[in-house]
Amino acid sequence: MLGFDHELRRGGFAGNSCQIILELGSAISPDALKTRLANLVKQYPILSARPGGVFFPRWNSNGNGVDAPQICVHRDDPALRQQIFNEPLAINHGELLRFDLIQHEDERMTLIFTWMHALMDAPGAEYLLALIGSAGFAELPLPAARFPQAPRPKPPLKERLKSAWKYLDHLDEFCKFAPRAIGSRHPEAPTALNYRVEKLSVEETEQVRSNCARYAGVLGEAQYHAAVSVLELHRLHQRLGCPSPSYVLPFPVGLRLKGSIEPMFSNQVSMLMFQFLPDQADSLAGAVGALKTQTCQAMRSDLLDSGRTLGELFRFLPLSIYVAVLKHGLRGEICSLFYGDTSAVNPQLTTFLGAPVEDFAHVAAVTPSPGLGVIFYHFRGRLRITILHSARVLNDTEAAEFAANLKQRLLNP
Amino acid sequence: MIEASAIETELLAFVQREVFAPDVPVTAETDLIAAGFDSMSLVRVLLFVELTYGLWIPERELNAVTLRNLRALTGTVARLLHGQ
Repeated sequence: MLGFDHELRRGGFAGNSCQIILELGSAISPDALKTRLANLVKQYPILSARPGGVFFPRWNSNGNGVDAPQICVHRDDPALRQQIFNEPLAINHGELLRFDLIQHEDERMTLIFTWMHALMDAPGAEYLLALIGSAGFAELPLPAARFPQAPRPKPPLKERLKSAWKYLDHLDEFCKFAPRAIGSRHPEAPTALNYRVEKLSVEETEQVRSNCARYAGVLGEAQYHAAVSVLELHRLHQRLGCPSPSYVLPFPVGLRLKGSIEPMFSNQVSMLMFQFLPDQADSLAGAVGALKTQTCQAMRSDLLDSGRTLGELFRFLPLSIYVAVLKHGLRGEICSLFYGDTSAVNPQLTTFLGAPVEDFAHVAAVTPSPGLGVIFYHFRGRLRITILHSARVLNDTEAAEFAANLKQRLLNP
Repeated sequence: MIEASAIETELLAFVQREVFAPDVPVTAETDLIAAGFDSMSLVRVLLFVELTYGLWIPERELNAVTLRNLRALTGTVARLLHGQ
């Protein structure tokens, strides 16, 4: 995550941050939010820590006298959301979180919670937001900030090196048909990331769910979403006249045990890298089949663990070299499309400081290349898809077309 | 011949250890999907069954009924093992 942050800032972008956007049915008090945040920062000093460490990354806590995260209040403006998304966090000054409140004329409010991805993943952030928003109401239990149990003992270094090498061998196989990103087609555009959210109705969501079961089997939702995303990515490449020899998709796998949010301040995700050749990305059956086969192969080969081990072994590298090593694995590319599927939004996010939560969105940064990403999630039984893109890779019209095609394909494969 | 009860015990121990948090009550009758069981949980269980019993459960055997809970899944495993 720190490597991606470095890569984004180096390219003139805001950094590797994520957002949760809550549409609130009524206004909340910034002072009440400030008080709540100040209390939480005292309980969890990591919330105002600075990324540091000489050879190995670690959080440098301020100790006493920490400042609570910034809260900015704005009047609504059409360009405001994209502007806030591209506003960097001052991470070297301990700004790992930020809250923006947008006041609307009809007394509603939008809350935009921005956080540094290196601090925590989406489930952690959802729970933290539910924790903040529950103040004075149904108080949620405070989870442990760090690992609650002793971590499993690490194997000897020789075994870990062997495991890491296995992952590199896996990527080497991909290089036989190394992917090629769309590239910077609009170099005159600002170094900005844009996003749009496709919202499906309850009926449309049911239709997609039915397609998931039909084409990807029971519990196949994430696989169906991923397969359709690859299909539409392939179509996009073809439409833009830049077909790729293959498409590499990092498929996130949550590592937390079901029913637990601990450790909250951590990215408890590992990536399985999947490759789709053009003939596999030409049909849904081909894409789903490739995904399922590769999932089983990867799990049999312990690639989840190998990927984590590789990341741990290289974390002493300076960030610029770390990213270069990452890109070298796929001959200059990180992946073809960033993909996220956070499943159902935390059901405890029903109100926030007394205001009803009426809608929800996930947003996250993507690196300049491939400059494209999709996030799937469900909010109260309705599917949402956030499409993220670098303004230099796709303009708004192209992104809207991609988003519309993706939605249509999900509904009518 | 492996008894269904033994299979159920093994499966339960596996999901309690590898899938669900220690404070989540899981029994043979727990609704798996309602408890958070997802596609990766399923792959883990399928690979555990393959490693333990040498049986890969074909996709045609997996549906909302056979995955309702561990007892239902045990029934499928036992049937397929005894049919081998």
